Amino acid sequence: MGVSDEMDALDTLGTSTIQKLENLLLVAVPRDLTDRDVLRLRRQVLTAIRQHRSRWVLLDFSRVDICDSFFGRFIQSTAKMADLMGAEVVVAGLQDAVVETMVDLGMTLPGVHAVLDLDDALALSRTGSRGSAGVEEQGPSRSTGSSWDGGSEWLDHDSDKTMGVDTSYTHTFSSSLTGK
Amino acid sequence: MGEEQPVQRRFAIKSIVDVVRARRSGLGIALEMGFHQAEANKIAVVISELGRNIELYAGEGLVTVTKYDDRIEIVAEDQGPGIPDVERVMAGGYTTSQGMGLGVSGSKRLMDEFDIHSIIGQGTTIKAVKWLR
Repeated sequence: MGVSDEMDALDTLGTSTIQKLENLLLVAVPRDLTDRDVLRLRRQVLTAIRQHRSRWVLLDFSRVDICDSFFGRFIQSTAKMADLMGAEVVVAGLQDAVVETMVDLGMTLPGVHAVLDLDDALALSRTGSRGSAGVEEQGPSRSTGSSWDGGSEWLDHDSDKTMGVDTSYTHTFSSSLTGK
Repeated sequence: MGEEQPVQRRFAIKSIVDVVRARRSGLGIALEMGFHQAEANKIAVVISELGRNIELYAGEGLVTVTKYDDRIEIVAEDQGPGIPDVERVMAGGYTTSQGMGLGVSGSKRLMDEFDIHSIIGQGTTIKAVKWLR
């Protein structure tokens, strides 16, 4: 097998698609992204959020069969950036083999929600405003819905860390663990 | 019974595209050998992490994938600056790059055997093995 054959088989950025579906942006993440492609895709997603005023972004990972730490960082940073724009990133379609590797690798993605499929993502995006998503697993600190409700909440979180998304989810996650 | 002559694939790493190509081939090789999808996936991620480090710190190097009857061996070698503090890198969470600081420490967790040989100013060789079970 020649090297050029393998190159032809690579699934790169050219095949990615960003589609608008209701108030959800549907991003089909290609399999074989170079680092530059990953950054380009992140910019495309952020531009599309603004263009379409989308409050939800679904990163569809069903084609991705190799997820290294750089890819993990892409998911994480896209979620943080989207959060600053007022949109929430949801991940869907991570393969079982992929999640096993991610967890064993030690990758944690605080603040990133996952859903099973597009139906669940649509259902999530239809139930109320962003920020109140996945309300059942959230502790009292976000129970008031969108982050905009509690100005003090923002200030509190700002004092620990600048990225609101990180701290708020970490807080709620740990509080749900301790049962408070 | 003696061991079958191992089959080797060598991937010159000069850019991230080379890394992407090497990990994709590595996944195929591991699956062909009979590794479970999840194990093959881990092997591919290790090729990706080690290949990425070569590109990032040394600029260029070589990733060699060797098939044995009962195991796969990944060797990543470069003539780059070397790793100043191997222990710290192995412990994880340490990065000078855009990653999560998991490249080396995480790769070690994904494999059965993992050895680093690094000399400052001369280069780094990392050997990682996963056994077929």
